Amino acid sequence: MEEALVRAVLFGTPILLAALGALLAERSGVVNLGVEGIMALSALAAFAAALGAGPFLGVVAGVGAGVALALFLGLFAITLRANPFVAGLAVAALGLGASGMLGKRYEGVPLETALPEAPLALSALFLALLLHLLLYRSRFGLYLRSVGENPKAADLFGVSVEGVRYLALGLGGGLIGLGGAYLSLAYRPSWTDGMTAGLGWVAIALVILAAWEPLRAVFGAYLFGLLFFLQFRLQGSVPIPSEAFAAMPYLLVILVLALSGRSRAPKALGQPFERGR
Amino acid sequence: MRKRVWLLALLLGMGLAQGEKLKACFIYVGPVGDAGWTYAHDVGRKKAEAALPWLETRYVESVPEAQALPVMDRFVQEGCKVIFATSFGYMEAVLEAAKKYPEVIFAHATGFKRAPNVATYMADFYQVYYLNGLAAGALTKSGKVGYVAAFPIPEVKRHINAFALGVRAVNPKAQVLVRWINAWYDPAKAREATEALLAQGADVFAFTEDTPTVIQTAAKKGAYAFGHYTPMLKFAPDHVVSGQIVHWDAIYIDFLKKVKEGVYTPKNLQKVDYFWLLQHKAVEMGADYGVPINPKHVPLLQKARMRVGGKEVPVYDRILALLKDMSSPKPTFDPFTGPIQDRKGVVRIPAGRKASLQELLTMEWAAPGVVGDWPGEPK
Repeated sequence: MEEALVRAVLFGTPILLAALGALLAERSGVVNLGVEGIMALSALAAFAAALGAGPFLGVVAGVGAGVALALFLGLFAITLRANPFVAGLAVAALGLGASGMLGKRYEGVPLETALPEAPLALSALFLALLLHLLLYRSRFGLYLRSVGENPKAADLFGVSVEGVRYLALGLGGGLIGLGGAYLSLAYRPSWTDGMTAGLGWVAIALVILAAWEPLRAVFGAYLFGLLFFLQFRLQGSVPIPSEAFAAMPYLLVILVLALSGRSRAPKALGQPFERGR
Repeated sequence: MRKRVWLLALLLGMGLAQGEKLKACFIYVGPVGDAGWTYAHDVGRKKAEAALPWLETRYVESVPEAQALPVMDRFVQEGCKVIFATSFGYMEAVLEAAKKYPEVIFAHATGFKRAPNVATYMADFYQVYYLNGLAAGALTKSGKVGYVAAFPIPEVKRHINAFALGVRAVNPKAQVLVRWINAWYDPAKAREATEALLAQGADVFAFTEDTPTVIQTAAKKGAYAFGHYTPMLKFAPDHVVSGQIVHWDAIYIDFLKKVKEGVYTPKNLQKVDYFWLLQHKAVEMGADYGVPINPKHVPLLQKARMRVGGKEVPVYDRILALLKDMSSPKPTFDPFTGPIQDRKGVVRIPAGRKASLQELLTMEWAAPGVVGDWPGEPK
């Protein structure tokens, strides 16, 4: 049992970090479908930097890559007012493709000094709490939420809608990048093409499951981690085929989603803002 | 005028020189940097090109199965005379292309359907898994050996069974706990499956999937592991005992030489099927190239004993003796020699007989000692 809880937290951590990052952007009204690609590129950046300059700078590089790629998405989704869904998918593809191409020389290279998982997992939990306080207990949080709900009104009150959105998307990119760094420096201290294996997409779904609430995202990420672990722990000891087990985390997420009632998305989510319209 | 003649001669000469080169093209299902399946094929391609001066190669990577035919069309237009398709899922596309281009030679890895211009090939690990099973049986203290497996298909089942037979030959009470991840490549699943097995007490690990995740996870808890497919010693130098390593170049070089010499033509491949093992040097037992057993673990394996024909022998000696035998031109030992019962007690290979190739390729039963879900297990 204890083992299962530990696994729930340790495997839930990258999902949590990525979900927090996506959530932050979405609360400001920007959809970020690029999570998977941002995570992949950050994982590579973190791994490459850690090989040369140690794991601490690896984390910095991972977060930096996350911020940079998220701001690149912002250029299209916020400034150029491109369709944010298409732009996000393009960033996902770009991140996955670029990391695969640039990462060839890091294949099969072991990382001498890996980061311990527990401290990173704890800081992820701490970041969730911090994000909660930021959203609900700070002036910036108020601006951020108002930009996500009613950008026109926020604009009238003198809040820079684009500025807040860039900040939220960029900070969120940093969180996603941290999730990527956790994958390649701690959870599995090596790099291979496609090592995010869909975790970014799970994180995007988790944002909805968590109803855009950071503390609910903690619960959801750990639930996913627990189910993921249990499918292997229980396999063979209960008469359920392994293929059904493999689908279980996803099925249960859908079930929870259906039971959790209607969760309300930020009203201006996915709508590019243009002053005077 | 004279200039023109020279030019013409030169062009002709270049044309002839080019014509002398045999163009072989490879179609890969994954990226060449996956450190697993496709990577190993690409190493084989490069070694073949280095060994055969008259060979010219090309490849296209990450080709989804539905895209295989257009890629092969392109290969033929570009003058490929031999096309290697390296994924099971390309089977139908290869047969279709072979019909369309009867003058081109095709070779399909892991397939079972052939045609006059389609051969099949495979480098198989079951002997090596058996040898690693012997080592695993000697090393486990808990009597529980973990096995993280990709998909429940005959190839993987054959390897698990060979491994389990080895484990039980040394340690008749040991169990091989199998967990399926239903993916060739998913580090997160491999990691959590390993964690689940560790939580259940497994202290030695083997696997069939395309990442070193199992090794890294096992090493963190001090458990032993066997590498798979490529040399993986570097991922945990103190914990990787041995492993399976592939050498596709052995097959590629042999095949291409025979094409060049005219032994293989687009008309006579109906029965050409490579199922290459230790004796053909298509596979190797080892933690790294040329390192059959990690020197750090040799003393442990020398101390461990097993009964062979009524005599006590060190497990280490037994492994090396069998490795030598199976690597020789005329092996006398085969892991799947009867009598072998499955885990339900049904006789699968009668006494005194070796499993046929057909039996190996369609193996669905589970060996004694294998514990866990086993999709497709015969009643």
